[in-house]
Amino acid sequence: MSVFEGFKFRRVYSPIHQLDPRVKFFYVLAIFVIAIMFNQLLPLILLFLIQLPFVFIAGVQREWIRSLRGALLFATMIFVFNFVFTYFWTEYPLLPSPSLLEHSIAMTLRFIVLVESFSVFFLTTSPDHLGLALEQSHVPYEFCFAFTTAVRFVPVLAEEAQTIMDAQKARGLELERGNFIKKVKNYIPVLIPLIVSAIRRSLELAEAMESRAWGATKKRTNLYVLRMKRGDYVLILISATILILAAYFWIFYREQIPLLSSLLIPLRLAAA
Amino acid sequence: MAIIETANLTYTYPGSTRSSLQDVTIEIKKGEFVVLTGPSGCGKTTLCRCFNGLVPHFYGGELQGDVTVTGLNVTQQAICDLAQHVGLVFQSPENQLFALSVEKDVAFGLENLGIPRDEIQKRVDWALRMTGITNIRERAPHELSGGQQQRVAIACVLAMQPDVMILDEPTSFLDPVGAQKIFDVISRLNKDLGITTILVEHRLDLAGKFANHVIVMDEGKVMLDGEPRGIFTSEDARLIGVGIPKATRLYQVLREKGVSLKRIPMNPEEAARSLREVLTLD
Repeated sequence: MSVFEGFKFRRVYSPIHQLDPRVKFFYVLAIFVIAIMFNQLLPLILLFLIQLPFVFIAGVQREWIRSLRGALLFATMIFVFNFVFTYFWTEYPLLPSPSLLEHSIAMTLRFIVLVESFSVFFLTTSPDHLGLALEQSHVPYEFCFAFTTAVRFVPVLAEEAQTIMDAQKARGLELERGNFIKKVKNYIPVLIPLIVSAIRRSLELAEAMESRAWGATKKRTNLYVLRMKRGDYVLILISATILILAAYFWIFYREQIPLLSSLLIPLRLAAA
Repeated sequence: MAIIETANLTYTYPGSTRSSLQDVTIEIKKGEFVVLTGPSGCGKTTLCRCFNGLVPHFYGGELQGDVTVTGLNVTQQAICDLAQHVGLVFQSPENQLFALSVEKDVAFGLENLGIPRDEIQKRVDWALRMTGITNIRERAPHELSGGQQQRVAIACVLAMQPDVMILDEPTSFLDPVGAQKIFDVISRLNKDLGITTILVEHRLDLAGKFANHVIVMDEGKVMLDGEPRGIFTSEDARLIGVGIPKATRLYQVLREKGVSLKRIPMNPEEAARSLREVLTLD
Protein backbone atom coordinates (compact mmCIF):
# COMPACT_ATOMS: atom_id res chain seq x y z
CA MET A 1 0.00 0.00 0.00
CA SER A 2 2.87 2.34 0.70
CA VAL A 3 3.47 3.17 -2.97
CA PHE A 4 -0.11 4.36 -3.28
CA GLU A 5 0.23 6.34 -0.06
CA GLY A 6 2.40 8.75 -2.03
CA PHE A 7 -0.34 9.29 -4.57
CA LYS A 8 -3.04 10.25 -2.11
CA PHE A 9 -4.21 13.80 -2.50
CA ARG A 10 -4.24 16.05 0.53
CA ARG A 11 -6.07 19.35 0.36
CA VAL A 12 -3.55 22.17 0.64
CA TYR A 13 -3.34 25.41 -1.19
CA SER A 14 -0.02 26.14 -2.82
CA PRO A 15 0.86 27.75 -6.14
CA ILE A 16 1.46 24.25 -7.51
CA HIS A 17 -1.95 23.03 -6.38
CA GLN A 18 -3.62 25.92 -8.16
CA LEU A 19 -2.10 25.00 -11.51
CA ASP A 20 -4.19 23.59 -14.30
CA PRO A 21 -3.94 19.77 -14.22
CA ARG A 22 -3.52 19.68 -17.99
CA VAL A 23 -0.44 21.85 -17.72
CA LYS A 24 0.93 19.76 -14.88
CA PHE A 25 0.33 16.68 -16.95
CA PHE A 26 2.27 18.21 -19.82
CA TYR A 27 5.12 18.81 -17.39
CA VAL A 28 5.03 15.22 -16.15
CA LEU A 29 4.96 14.03 -19.72
CA ALA A 30 7.99 16.18 -20.57
CA ILE A 31 9.93 14.69 -17.64
CA PHE A 32 8.79 11.23 -18.68
CA VAL A 33 10.00 11.65 -22.25
CA ILE A 34 13.36 13.08 -21.17
CA ALA A 35 13.88 10.28 -18.67
CA ILE A 36 13.30 7.77 -21.45
CA MET A 37 15.61 9.64 -23.85
CA PHE A 38 18.70 9.48 -21.69
CA ASN A 39 20.22 6.43 -20.09
CA GLN A 40 23.27 8.08 -18.59
CA LEU A 41 23.50 8.91 -14.93
CA LEU A 42 24.41 12.58 -15.23
CA PRO A 43 21.27 13.84 -17.05
CA LEU A 44 19.06 11.67 -14.85
CA ILE A 45 20.55 13.21 -11.71
CA LEU A 46 19.84 16.65 -13.17
CA LEU A 47 16.28 15.55 -13.94
CA PHE A 48 15.87 14.36 -10.38
CA LEU A 49 17.17 17.63 -8.94
CA ILE A 50 15.14 19.83 -11.26
CA GLN A 51 11.92 18.54 -9.72
CA LEU A 52 12.85 19.26 -6.12
CA PRO A 53 11.75 22.93 -6.20
CA PHE A 54 8.24 21.79 -7.21
CA VAL A 55 8.03 19.49 -4.24
CA PHE A 56 9.11 22.23 -1.87
CA ILE A 57 6.88 24.94 -3.33
CA ALA A 58 3.93 22.55 -3.08
CA GLY A 59 4.88 21.71 0.52
CA VAL A 60 4.32 17.98 0.06
CA GLN A 61 7.83 16.84 1.07
CA ARG A 62 6.62 14.35 3.64
CA GLU A 63 4.15 12.56 1.36
CA TRP A 64 6.66 12.71 -1.46
CA ILE A 65 9.37 11.02 0.58
CA ARG A 66 6.86 8.41 1.64
CA SER A 67 6.06 7.62 -1.98
CA LEU A 68 9.76 7.30 -2.78
CA ARG A 69 10.23 5.01 0.19
CA GLY A 70 7.36 2.92 -1.15
CA ALA A 71 9.12 2.68 -4.49
CA LEU A 72 12.28 1.43 -2.79
CA LEU A 73 11.51 -2.26 -3.26
CA PHE A 74 10.89 -1.88 -6.98
CA ALA A 75 13.94 0.31 -7.29
CA THR A 76 16.10 -2.34 -5.66
CA MET A 77 14.68 -4.98 -7.97
CA ILE A 78 15.37 -2.85 -11.02
CA PHE A 79 18.91 -2.27 -9.83
CA VAL A 80 19.63 -5.95 -9.22
CA PHE A 81 18.05 -7.08 -12.49
CA ASN A 82 19.93 -4.49 -14.47
CA PHE A 83 23.19 -5.39 -12.81
CA VAL A 84 22.77 -9.12 -13.28
CA PHE A 85 21.25 -9.12 -16.77
CA THR A 86 23.61 -6.59 -18.27
CA TYR A 87 26.46 -8.64 -16.89
CA PHE A 88 25.33 -11.91 -18.46
CA TRP A 89 23.36 -10.97 -21.52
CA THR A 90 25.15 -8.20 -23.34
CA GLU A 91 27.19 -9.06 -26.41
CA TYR A 92 30.38 -7.67 -25.02
CA PRO A 93 29.88 -8.41 -21.35
CA LEU A 94 30.80 -5.52 -19.14
CA LEU A 95 32.75 -6.78 -16.24
CA PRO A 96 31.43 -5.87 -12.81
CA SER A 97 33.03 -2.51 -13.29
CA PRO A 98 32.24 1.03 -12.19
CA SER A 99 30.57 1.65 -15.54
CA LEU A 100 28.23 -1.33 -15.14
CA LEU A 101 27.43 -0.15 -11.66
CA GLU A 102 26.75 3.31 -12.99
CA HIS A 103 24.49 1.97 -15.72
CA SER A 104 22.40 0.05 -13.17
CA ILE A 105 22.18 3.09 -10.93
CA ALA A 106 21.06 5.18 -13.90
CA MET A 107 18.28 2.74 -14.75
CA THR A 108 17.13 2.76 -11.14
CA LEU A 109 17.23 6.51 -11.03
CA ARG A 110 15.17 6.65 -14.22
CA PHE A 111 12.46 4.71 -12.44
CA ILE A 112 12.71 6.97 -9.40
CA VAL A 113 12.43 10.07 -11.57
CA LEU A 114 9.24 8.69 -13.11
CA VAL A 115 7.76 7.86 -9.70
CA GLU A 116 8.82 11.27 -8.46
CA SER A 117 7.15 13.22 -11.25
CA PHE A 118 3.91 11.24 -11.17
CA SER A 119 3.73 11.44 -7.43
CA VAL A 120 4.18 15.23 -7.55
CA PHE A 121 1.37 15.33 -10.07
CA PHE A 122 -1.05 13.26 -8.01
CA LEU A 123 -0.08 14.83 -4.71
CA THR A 124 -0.85 18.30 -5.98
CA THR A 125 -3.89 17.64 -8.16
CA SER A 126 -7.28 17.20 -6.55
CA PRO A 127 -9.21 14.33 -8.13
CA ASP A 128 -11.99 16.83 -8.70
CA HIS A 129 -9.68 18.96 -10.83
CA LEU A 130 -8.47 15.88 -12.61
CA GLY A 131 -12.02 14.87 -13.47
CA LEU A 132 -12.68 18.39 -14.68
CA ALA A 133 -9.57 18.32 -16.83
CA LEU A 134 -10.69 15.02 -18.36
CA GLU A 135 -14.10 16.50 -19.05
CA GLN A 136 -12.66 19.57 -20.71
CA SER A 137 -10.38 17.39 -22.79
CA HIS A 138 -13.55 15.98 -24.38
CA VAL A 139 -13.41 12.64 -22.61
CA PRO A 140 -17.04 11.37 -22.53
CA TYR A 141 -18.71 12.45 -19.30
CA GLU A 142 -19.57 8.88 -18.30
CA PHE A 143 -15.86 8.10 -17.97
CA CYS A 144 -15.08 11.26 -16.00
CA PHE A 145 -17.99 10.52 -13.69
CA ALA A 146 -16.83 6.94 -13.21
CA PHE A 147 -13.37 8.25 -12.35
CA THR A 148 -14.41 10.84 -9.76
CA THR A 149 -16.96 8.48 -8.21
CA ALA A 150 -14.35 5.75 -7.92
CA VAL A 151 -12.04 8.17 -6.12
CA ARG A 152 -14.87 9.34 -3.90
CA PHE A 153 -15.67 5.79 -2.78
CA VAL A 154 -12.10 4.69 -2.02
CA PRO A 155 -12.24 5.83 1.64
CA VAL A 156 -15.77 4.44 2.02
CA LEU A 157 -14.76 1.01 0.77
CA ALA A 158 -11.56 1.06 2.82
CA GLU A 159 -13.59 1.71 5.93
CA GLU A 160 -16.04 -1.01 4.99
CA ALA A 161 -13.25 -3.51 4.39
CA GLN A 162 -11.96 -2.71 7.89
CA THR A 163 -15.41 -3.26 9.40
CA ILE A 164 -15.84 -6.58 7.62
CA MET A 165 -12.36 -7.66 8.68
CA ASP A 166 -13.15 -6.82 12.29
CA ALA A 167 -16.49 -8.62 12.09
CA GLN A 168 -14.92 -11.76 10.63
CA LYS A 169 -12.09 -11.67 13.14
CA ALA A 170 -14.69 -11.46 15.90
CA ARG A 171 -16.08 -14.72 14.53
CA GLY A 172 -12.69 -16.37 14.73
CA LEU A 173 -11.22 -15.72 11.30
CA GLU A 174 -7.43 -15.62 11.48
CA LEU A 175 -6.03 -13.50 8.71
CA GLU A 176 -2.34 -13.74 9.48
CA ARG A 177 -2.01 -17.50 9.72
CA GLY A 178 -0.34 -19.95 7.39
CA ASN A 179 1.90 -19.66 4.38
CA PHE A 180 1.43 -17.18 1.54
CA ILE A 181 -1.34 -19.11 -0.27
CA LYS A 182 -3.16 -19.78 2.97
CA LYS A 183 -2.98 -16.10 3.81
CA VAL A 184 -4.49 -15.15 0.47
CA LYS A 185 -7.25 -17.71 1.02
CA ASN A 186 -7.91 -16.24 4.45
CA TYR A 187 -9.07 -13.07 2.79
CA ILE A 188 -11.91 -14.73 0.85
CA PRO A 189 -14.43 -14.30 3.70
CA VAL A 190 -13.54 -10.61 3.68
CA LEU A 191 -13.69 -10.17 -0.07
CA ILE A 192 -17.08 -11.75 -0.69
CA PRO A 193 -19.10 -9.52 1.66
CA LEU A 194 -17.12 -6.55 0.39
CA ILE A 195 -18.00 -7.29 -3.22
CA VAL A 196 -21.64 -7.98 -2.43
CA SER A 197 -22.01 -4.77 -0.52
CA ALA A 198 -20.23 -2.83 -3.26
CA ILE A 199 -22.72 -4.16 -5.80
CA ARG A 200 -25.62 -3.24 -3.56
CA ARG A 201 -24.08 0.18 -3.06
CA SER A 202 -23.77 0.66 -6.81
CA LEU A 203 -27.48 -0.06 -7.24
CA GLU A 204 -28.36 2.57 -4.66
CA LEU A 205 -25.99 4.93 -6.38
CA ALA A 206 -27.66 4.35 -9.73
CA GLU A 207 -31.02 5.06 -8.14
CA ALA A 208 -29.76 8.32 -6.69
CA MET A 209 -28.26 9.33 -10.04
CA GLU A 210 -31.49 8.64 -11.88
CA SER A 211 -33.37 10.66 -9.30
CA ARG A 212 -31.16 13.62 -10.02
CA ALA A 213 -31.89 13.80 -13.73
CA TRP A 214 -28.91 11.81 -14.97
CA GLY A 215 -28.84 11.93 -18.76
CA ALA A 216 -31.53 14.62 -19.06
CA THR A 217 -29.59 16.46 -21.73
CA LYS A 218 -26.64 15.75 -23.97
CA LYS A 219 -25.26 19.23 -23.38
CA ARG A 220 -24.26 19.03 -19.76
CA THR A 221 -23.05 22.20 -18.05
CA ASN A 222 -20.49 22.40 -15.27
CA LEU A 223 -20.27 24.37 -12.07
CA TYR A 224 -16.52 24.84 -12.44
CA VAL A 225 -14.36 25.60 -15.46
CA LEU A 226 -10.62 25.38 -15.72
CA ARG A 227 -9.02 28.55 -16.97
CA MET A 228 -5.34 28.96 -17.71
CA LYS A 229 -3.67 31.53 -15.47
CA ARG A 230 -0.25 33.14 -15.45
CA GLY A 231 1.32 30.33 -13.43
CA ASP A 232 0.12 27.82 -15.99
CA TYR A 233 1.86 29.66 -18.81
CA VAL A 234 5.03 29.85 -16.74
CA LEU A 235 5.00 26.10 -16.19
CA ILE A 236 4.39 25.47 -19.89
CA LEU A 237 7.37 27.68 -20.61
CA ILE A 238 9.55 25.84 -18.08
CA SER A 239 8.54 22.41 -19.35
CA ALA A 240 9.05 23.41 -22.97
CA THR A 241 12.47 24.87 -22.18
CA ILE A 242 13.59 21.73 -20.38
CA LEU A 243 12.27 19.63 -23.23
CA ILE A 244 14.00 21.67 -25.93
CA LEU A 245 17.30 21.75 -24.03
CA ALA A 246 17.12 18.01 -23.51
CA ALA A 247 16.35 17.41 -27.17
CA TYR A 248 19.25 19.66 -28.16
CA PHE A 249 21.73 17.77 -25.99
CA TRP A 250 20.32 14.45 -27.08
CA ILE A 251 20.75 15.28 -30.78
CA PHE A 252 24.21 16.84 -30.63
CA TYR A 253 25.97 15.59 -27.53
CA ARG A 254 24.34 12.23 -26.81
CA GLU A 255 27.58 10.35 -27.25
CA GLN A 256 29.71 12.82 -25.34
CA ILE A 257 27.87 12.71 -22.02
CA PRO A 258 30.61 11.63 -19.63
CA LEU A 259 30.24 8.73 -17.27
CA LEU A 260 30.46 9.91 -13.70
CA SER A 261 32.82 7.06 -12.90
CA SER A 262 35.19 8.25 -15.62
CA LEU A 263 35.24 11.64 -13.93
CA LEU A 264 36.09 9.94 -10.67
CA ILE A 265 39.07 7.99 -11.97
CA PRO A 266 41.31 11.04 -12.53
CA LEU A 267 40.38 12.16 -9.04
CA ARG A 268 41.42 8.82 -7.66
CA LEU A 269 44.63 8.94 -9.62
CA ALA A 270 45.31 12.39 -8.30
CA ALA A 271 44.67 11.18 -4.78
CA ALA A 272 47.03 8.26 -5.32
CA MET B 1 -55.47 20.74 -5.39
CA ALA B 2 -54.04 17.26 -5.59
CA ILE B 3 -50.36 17.16 -6.51
CA ILE B 4 -50.02 13.39 -6.28
CA GLU B 5 -52.80 10.99 -7.10
CA THR B 6 -52.78 7.23 -7.39
CA ALA B 7 -55.74 5.14 -8.44
CA ASN B 8 -55.85 1.38 -7.85
CA LEU B 9 -52.08 1.21 -8.02
CA THR B 10 -50.81 -2.35 -7.95
CA TYR B 11 -47.17 -3.18 -8.55
CA THR B 12 -45.08 -6.33 -8.58
CA TYR B 13 -41.27 -6.34 -8.72
CA PRO B 14 -39.76 -8.48 -11.45
CA GLY B 15 -39.24 -12.05 -10.26
CA SER B 16 -41.53 -11.59 -7.29
CA THR B 17 -44.77 -13.48 -6.87
CA ARG B 18 -46.39 -11.13 -4.37
CA SER B 19 -47.45 -7.61 -5.21
CA SER B 20 -45.54 -5.01 -3.23
CA LEU B 21 -48.35 -2.53 -3.68
CA GLN B 22 -51.95 -3.61 -3.76
CA ASP B 23 -54.74 -1.37 -4.90
CA VAL B 24 -53.29 1.81 -3.50
CA THR B 25 -55.52 4.84 -3.94
CA ILE B 26 -54.34 8.01 -2.26
CA GLU B 27 -54.42 11.72 -2.85
CA ILE B 28 -51.86 14.21 -1.60
CA LYS B 29 -52.59 17.91 -1.74
CA LYS B 30 -50.17 20.68 -2.61
CA GLY B 31 -48.18 21.96 0.37
CA GLU B 32 -49.04 19.05 2.66
CA PHE B 33 -46.59 17.43 5.05
CA VAL B 34 -47.34 13.75 4.73
CA VAL B 35 -45.90 11.13 7.06
CA LEU B 36 -45.94 7.71 5.46
CA THR B 37 -45.45 4.96 7.97
CA GLY B 38 -45.92 1.27 8.59
CA PRO B 39 -43.90 -1.81 9.50
CA SER B 40 -40.75 -2.72 7.51
CA GLY B 41 -41.45 -4.24 4.12
CA CYS B 42 -44.94 -2.77 3.92
CA GLY B 43 -44.31 -1.05 0.58
CA LYS B 44 -43.55 2.49 1.73
CA THR B 45 -40.30 2.68 -0.22
CA THR B 46 -41.90 1.12 -3.28
CA LEU B 47 -44.65 3.72 -3.19
CA CYS B 48 -42.03 6.49 -3.03
CA ARG B 49 -40.25 5.00 -6.02
CA CYS B 50 -43.54 5.18 -7.93
CA PHE B 51 -43.70 8.93 -7.40
CA ASN B 52 -40.52 9.70 -9.31
CA GLY B 53 -40.63 6.95 -11.88
CA LEU B 54 -37.93 4.64 -10.47
CA VAL B 55 -40.84 2.24 -10.43
CA PRO B 56 -41.48 1.09 -13.09
CA HIS B 57 -38.74 2.63 -15.32
CA PHE B 58 -35.65 1.67 -13.30
CA TYR B 59 -36.91 -1.50 -11.64
CA GLY B 60 -39.11 -2.94 -14.39
CA GLY B 61 -41.88 -5.15 -13.10
CA GLU B 62 -45.58 -4.93 -13.60
CA LEU B 63 -47.59 -1.82 -12.80
CA GLN B 64 -51.34 -1.49 -12.96
CA GLY B 65 -53.46 1.53 -12.17
CA ASP B 66 -52.54 5.20 -12.43
CA VAL B 67 -49.96 7.44 -10.80
CA THR B 68 -50.13 11.14 -11.52
CA VAL B 69 -47.55 13.49 -10.06
CA THR B 70 -47.81 17.25 -10.68
CA GLY B 71 -50.17 16.46 -13.54
CA LEU B 72 -47.70 14.09 -15.23
CA ASN B 73 -48.50 10.45 -15.78
CA VAL B 74 -45.53 8.64 -14.25
CA THR B 75 -45.62 5.64 -16.57
CA GLN B 76 -45.31 7.90 -19.59
CA GLN B 77 -42.51 10.18 -18.35
CA ALA B 78 -38.78 9.56 -18.23
CA ILE B 79 -37.20 9.57 -14.77
CA CYS B 80 -35.06 12.59 -15.63
CA ASP B 81 -38.17 14.63 -16.50
CA LEU B 82 -39.89 13.61 -13.30
CA ALA B 83 -36.74 14.41 -11.32
CA GLN B 84 -37.31 18.09 -12.00
CA HIS B 85 -40.62 17.94 -10.16
CA VAL B 86 -40.02 15.28 -7.54
CA GLY B 87 -36.91 15.11 -5.40
CA LEU B 88 -36.08 11.88 -3.64
CA VAL B 89 -33.77 11.69 -0.62
CA PHE B 90 -32.66 8.18 0.26
CA GLN B 91 -32.05 6.36 3.49
CA SER B 92 -28.31 5.86 3.28
CA PRO B 93 -26.65 9.26 3.25
CA GLU B 94 -23.33 8.23 1.74
CA ASN B 95 -24.68 6.31 -1.23
CA GLN B 96 -26.41 9.30 -2.74
CA LEU B 97 -23.41 11.60 -2.81
CA PHE B 98 -20.97 10.97 -5.60
CA ALA B 99 -18.94 14.10 -6.12
CA LEU B 100 -15.74 15.02 -4.30
CA SER B 101 -17.07 18.22 -2.80
CA VAL B 102 -20.39 19.25 -1.34
CA GLU B 103 -20.77 22.10 -3.79
CA LYS B 104 -20.20 19.87 -6.78
CA ASP B 105 -22.69 17.35 -5.48
CA VAL B 106 -25.39 19.94 -5.03
CA ALA B 107 -24.72 21.14 -8.56
CA PHE B 108 -24.89 17.62 -10.03
CA GLY B 109 -28.60 17.60 -10.85
CA LEU B 110 -28.50 21.10 -12.30
CA GLU B 111 -25.50 20.21 -14.45
CA ASN B 112 -27.39 17.23 -15.79
CA LEU B 113 -30.23 19.53 -16.79
CA GLY B 114 -27.81 21.76 -18.69
CA ILE B 115 -28.57 24.91 -16.70
CA PRO B 116 -26.18 27.84 -17.32
CA ARG B 117 -23.26 28.15 -14.90
CA ASP B 118 -24.19 31.41 -13.13
CA GLU B 119 -27.69 30.08 -12.52
CA ILE B 120 -26.21 26.88 -11.06
CA GLN B 121 -23.96 28.94 -8.80
CA LYS B 122 -26.94 30.96 -7.58
CA ARG B 123 -29.09 27.92 -6.89
CA VAL B 124 -26.28 26.02 -5.18
CA ASP B 125 -25.66 28.97 -2.86
CA TRP B 126 -29.36 29.18 -2.14
CA ALA B 127 -29.76 25.46 -1.43
CA LEU B 128 -26.72 25.44 0.85
CA ARG B 129 -28.09 28.42 2.74
CA MET B 130 -31.55 26.89 3.12
CA THR B 131 -30.12 23.71 4.60
CA GLY B 132 -27.55 25.55 6.72
CA ILE B 133 -24.41 23.94 5.30
CA THR B 134 -22.69 26.85 3.58
CA ASN B 135 -19.69 26.40 5.90
CA ILE B 136 -18.91 22.90 4.62
CA ARG B 137 -19.28 23.59 0.91
CA GLU B 138 -15.74 22.61 -0.01
CA ARG B 139 -15.49 19.44 2.05
CA ALA B 140 -15.47 15.92 0.64
CA PRO B 141 -18.44 13.70 1.56
CA HIS B 142 -16.34 11.26 3.59
CA GLU B 143 -15.18 14.09 5.83
CA LEU B 144 -18.75 14.79 6.95
CA SER B 145 -20.89 13.29 9.70
CA GLY B 146 -23.98 11.31 8.75
CA GLY B 147 -26.25 14.21 9.64
CA GLN B 148 -24.25 16.61 7.52
CA GLN B 149 -24.25 14.15 4.63
CA GLN B 150 -28.01 13.85 4.82
CA ARG B 151 -28.39 17.63 4.81
CA VAL B 152 -26.18 17.72 1.73
CA ALA B 153 -28.48 15.15 0.13
CA ILE B 154 -31.45 17.37 0.91
CA ALA B 155 -29.63 20.38 -0.54
CA CYS B 156 -28.92 18.36 -3.71
CA VAL B 157 -32.61 17.74 -4.19
CA LEU B 158 -33.61 21.23 -3.12
CA ALA B 159 -31.32 22.88 -5.67
CA MET B 160 -33.46 21.37 -8.41
CA GLN B 161 -36.42 23.29 -6.98
CA PRO B 162 -38.86 20.41 -6.91
CA ASP B 163 -42.59 20.72 -6.21
CA VAL B 164 -42.53 17.56 -4.14
CA MET B 165 -39.80 16.31 -1.85
CA ILE B 166 -39.81 12.71 -0.75
CA LEU B 167 -37.58 11.55 2.09
CA ASP B 168 -37.26 7.83 2.58
CA GLU B 169 -36.32 7.26 6.23
CA PRO B 170 -33.71 10.00 6.09
CA THR B 171 -32.78 9.68 9.74
CA SER B 172 -32.45 5.95 10.28
CA PHE B 173 -28.64 6.14 10.29
CA LEU B 174 -28.51 9.23 12.51
CA ASP B 175 -28.45 9.92 16.22
CA PRO B 176 -31.45 11.72 17.76
CA VAL B 177 -29.81 15.15 17.63
CA GLY B 178 -28.88 14.73 13.98
CA ALA B 179 -32.39 13.48 13.25
CA GLN B 180 -33.93 16.47 14.97
CA LYS B 181 -31.85 18.82 12.81
CA ILE B 182 -32.96 17.04 9.64
CA PHE B 183 -36.61 17.29 10.65
CA ASP B 184 -36.21 20.99 11.41
CA VAL B 185 -34.74 21.58 7.95
CA ILE B 186 -37.50 19.59 6.27
CA SER B 187 -40.30 21.29 8.13
CA ARG B 188 -38.82 24.72 7.40
CA LEU B 189 -38.69 23.94 3.69
CA ASN B 190 -42.27 22.75 3.83
CA LYS B 191 -43.51 25.81 5.71
CA ASP B 192 -41.45 28.55 4.07
CA LEU B 193 -41.29 27.31 0.50
CA GLY B 194 -44.52 25.36 0.39
CA ILE B 195 -42.80 22.26 -0.94
CA THR B 196 -45.09 19.28 -0.63
CA THR B 197 -43.24 16.87 1.65
CA ILE B 198 -43.60 13.14 2.00
CA LEU B 199 -41.63 11.71 4.89
CA VAL B 200 -41.29 7.99 5.35
CA GLU B 201 -40.57 7.39 9.01
CA HIS B 202 -40.85 4.76 11.73
CA ARG B 203 -40.04 6.93 14.68
CA LEU B 204 -42.99 9.26 14.97
CA ASP B 205 -41.95 10.79 18.29
CA LEU B 206 -39.84 13.33 16.45
CA ALA B 207 -41.58 13.46 13.09
CA GLY B 208 -45.23 13.09 14.05
CA LYS B 209 -45.71 16.67 15.15
CA PHE B 210 -44.86 18.09 11.73
CA ALA B 211 -47.42 16.02 9.87
CA ASN B 212 -50.77 17.24 8.70
CA HIS B 213 -51.56 14.07 6.79
CA VAL B 214 -50.66 10.51 7.82
CA ILE B 215 -50.79 7.40 5.68
CA VAL B 216 -50.30 4.02 7.33
CA MET B 217 -49.47 1.04 5.14
CA ASP B 218 -49.26 -2.65 5.85
CA GLU B 219 -48.48 -5.51 3.48
CA GLY B 220 -48.71 -3.33 0.40
CA LYS B 221 -52.08 -1.82 1.26
CA VAL B 222 -53.06 1.55 2.63
CA MET B 223 -54.64 0.80 5.99
CA LEU B 224 -55.24 4.28 7.37
CA ASP B 225 -55.20 7.62 5.61
CA GLY B 226 -56.12 10.93 7.15
CA GLU B 227 -55.53 13.50 9.85
CA PRO B 228 -52.71 12.60 12.32
CA ARG B 229 -54.48 12.96 15.67
CA GLY B 230 -57.27 10.67 14.61
CA ILE B 231 -54.89 8.05 13.26
CA PHE B 232 -52.47 8.08 16.15
CA THR B 233 -55.24 7.49 18.68
CA SER B 234 -56.96 4.75 16.68
CA GLU B 235 -56.62 1.22 17.93
CA ASP B 236 -55.78 0.00 14.39
CA ALA B 237 -52.61 2.04 14.21
CA ARG B 238 -51.32 0.49 17.42
CA LEU B 239 -52.15 -3.01 16.26
CA ILE B 240 -50.35 -2.56 12.94
CA GLY B 241 -47.33 -1.61 14.96
CA VAL B 242 -47.03 2.05 14.12
CA GLY B 243 -44.62 3.77 16.48
CA ILE B 244 -47.13 6.35 17.62
CA PRO B 245 -45.73 9.31 19.58
CA LYS B 246 -45.42 8.60 23.29
CA ALA B 247 -47.44 11.66 24.18
CA THR B 248 -50.34 10.35 22.11
CA ARG B 249 -49.92 6.90 23.63
CA LEU B 250 -50.16 8.48 27.07
CA TYR B 251 -53.47 9.97 26.00
CA GLN B 252 -54.71 6.49 25.01
CA VAL B 253 -53.59 4.90 28.25
CA LEU B 254 -55.20 7.64 30.32
CA ARG B 255 -58.42 7.25 28.35
CA GLU B 256 -58.48 3.54 29.13
CA LYS B 257 -58.08 4.40 32.82
CA GLY B 258 -60.97 6.80 32.61
CA VAL B 259 -59.07 10.08 32.43
CA SER B 260 -59.84 12.01 29.29
CA LEU B 261 -57.69 14.88 28.14
CA LYS B 262 -59.39 17.66 26.21
CA ARG B 263 -57.02 17.60 23.26
CA ILE B 264 -55.03 14.81 21.72
CA PRO B 265 -51.38 15.64 22.39
CA MET B 266 -48.75 15.05 19.67
CA ASN B 267 -45.64 16.03 21.61
CA PRO B 268 -44.55 16.30 25.26
CA GLU B 269 -45.32 20.03 25.47
CA GLU B 270 -48.92 19.52 24.42
CA ALA B 271 -49.25 16.55 26.74
CA ALA B 272 -47.93 18.60 29.66
CA ARG B 273 -50.41 21.38 28.94
CA SER B 274 -53.36 18.99 28.70
CA LEU B 275 -52.34 17.19 31.88
CA ARG B 276 -52.06 20.47 33.75
CA GLU B 277 -55.60 21.36 32.65
CA VAL B 278 -56.95 18.08 33.97
CA LEU B 279 -55.04 18.36 37.24
CA THR B 280 -56.21 21.90 38.02
CA LEU B 281 -59.81 20.87 37.32
CA ASP B 282 -59.72 18.14 39.97
